[in-house]
Amino acid sequence: MSTETSSIDPVEKLLATARDEALDDEFHVTGVMMQYYEVCERELWFVSRHLEIDRDNVAVVRGTRVDDSAYEGKRRNVSIDGTIAIDVLEDGRVMEVKPSSSLVDPAKLQLCYYLWYLDRVVGVEREGVLAHPTERRQETVELTDERVEWVEESIRGVHRVVTSDTPPPAEEKPFCESCAYHDFCWSC
Amino acid sequence: MNDNYHVFSDGRLERHNDTVRLVTDEGEKKYLPIENAEALFLHGQIDYNTRLMSFLNDEGVAAHVFGWNDYYAGSIVPERGQTSGRTLVEQVRSYDDPDSRLSIARAFVAGSIHNMRANVSYYHNRDHDFESVIDELERIGDGLDEAGDVSELMGMEAGARRAYYSTFDAILPEGFVFGGRQYNPPSNEVNSLISFGNSLVYANCVSAIRATALDPAVSFLHEPGERRYSLALDIAEPFKPVLADRVIFRLLNRGQLTTDSFEEDLNACLLTETGRKTFSKAFEETLDRTVEHPRLDRKVSYQYLLRIEAYKLKKHLLTGEPYEPFERWW
Ligand code: SF4
Repeated sequence: MSTETSSIDPVEKLLATARDEALDDEFHVTGVMMQYYEVCERELWFVSRHLEIDRDNVAVVRGTRVDDSAYEGKRRNVSIDGTIAIDVLEDGRVMEVKPSSSLVDPAKLQLCYYLWYLDRVVGVEREGVLAHPTERRQETVELTDERVEWVEESIRGVHRVVTSDTPPPAEEKPFCESCAYHDFCWSC
Repeated sequence: MNDNYHVFSDGRLERHNDTVRLVTDEGEKKYLPIENAEALFLHGQIDYNTRLMSFLNDEGVAAHVFGWNDYYAGSIVPERGQTSGRTLVEQVRSYDDPDSRLSIARAFVAGSIHNMRANVSYYHNRDHDFESVIDELERIGDGLDEAGDVSELMGMEAGARRAYYSTFDAILPEGFVFGGRQYNPPSNEVNSLISFGNSLVYANCVSAIRATALDPAVSFLHEPGERRYSLALDIAEPFKPVLADRVIFRLLNRGQLTTDSFEEDLNACLLTETGRKTFSKAFEETLDRTVEHPRLDRKVSYQYLLRIEAYKLKKHLLTGEPYEPFERWW
């Protein structure tokens, strides 16, 4: 971890930067980073270093392959501060598409981060909806205190991972099998 | 995916619509299915033009040119593939740090000695007595930590290789005398086969490195610049005994190559076209062989092991996690 930045709480820093653009912090937390953080911290480190691995040989990086055309027309893509890009439905709710049932938590964290950002930075309270293209059911997500805590702890976690000189060690997870870094992590 | 196509005839290679066509000197036309190709290996006298080169570049197919003297003449490597400033920076930094460079170089030598010993043990267990060579290889392998710099390491590796090569005359069938390594040009049949086999390993390492954003010119055991892609020389080292030497023993001991498979040319002893075909075929079959990988939990081809080696090195450079060289485990 780099020492100069560790003295300030990453959450405070992120808020300060977002509210006052004069404070130019290189540390931008994107929604996708939150997702990676929840899936695998090692993967987050690789992605944050733009460490790409042999795309033509492995399945496309998780999450980017969902066919979400089902929701076309009913939503708008809004970019805020150039940091987060969210999908807003007609009724104003923020939507996040979860790629698969095994990736609910990562998608939910990403959604909560957006809700948190809207609340704390932009000053609007919104409700979120977690959807899966092939499932009828949608889950409504509200920003509870517990989820605020989850988001803020995760921001600190993302900060810790991406400022570290070395990645967290590989740990066998169910996600490994579909991970683009699989052979990179496990060829030893 | 990852197929190699070997072209033995003389002629002209050209782009024809969206394919590559070979027009031989006899006027015969053949089409090469390059959609799934990793590389073309050109063994004959081949003419080509820039139109073909940009097509191969677009398709991401490399061409390795095999000439006469020591077989390998050069490669045309497409630009596609990965580039990463960060990888290059870490690679150069590691090369420039004597301790770091030495430890990576030592890994290549350790892997190489381990795999030479595996070959010797294999023949030791089938009616040969190579006890003393096995001991010698073990002794050199155990002493690698004492090497203070890369040139000392190179000396140890040369010693190991001499001991290893001393078993060849006993392993090979009658009619073939090796006598020791001589190259550029190879002086006898066995030397010729080693040169040819090693250059095939080398060219496949060039292909493997291309997939990783490692810079093929920045090497650790060999001096950068020794060849254009000196990192391929490094990575080839532990693979030569497994990929090239075993093919040589197999082909000679089964009589698939005989003295008729060679021709003398200006003090050089070189494989004939038929000889090269036989060898390349057996070599490609070896690349396609699979082995259960203990950590990846699936079968991987020998060819993929080269790719894995490049990944492992890249991972070491970028994360600092230790680099363990390829050592035959089966
Ligand atoms: S293979 Fe597993 S440990 Fe490695 S980055 Fe992917 S999910 Fe993480």
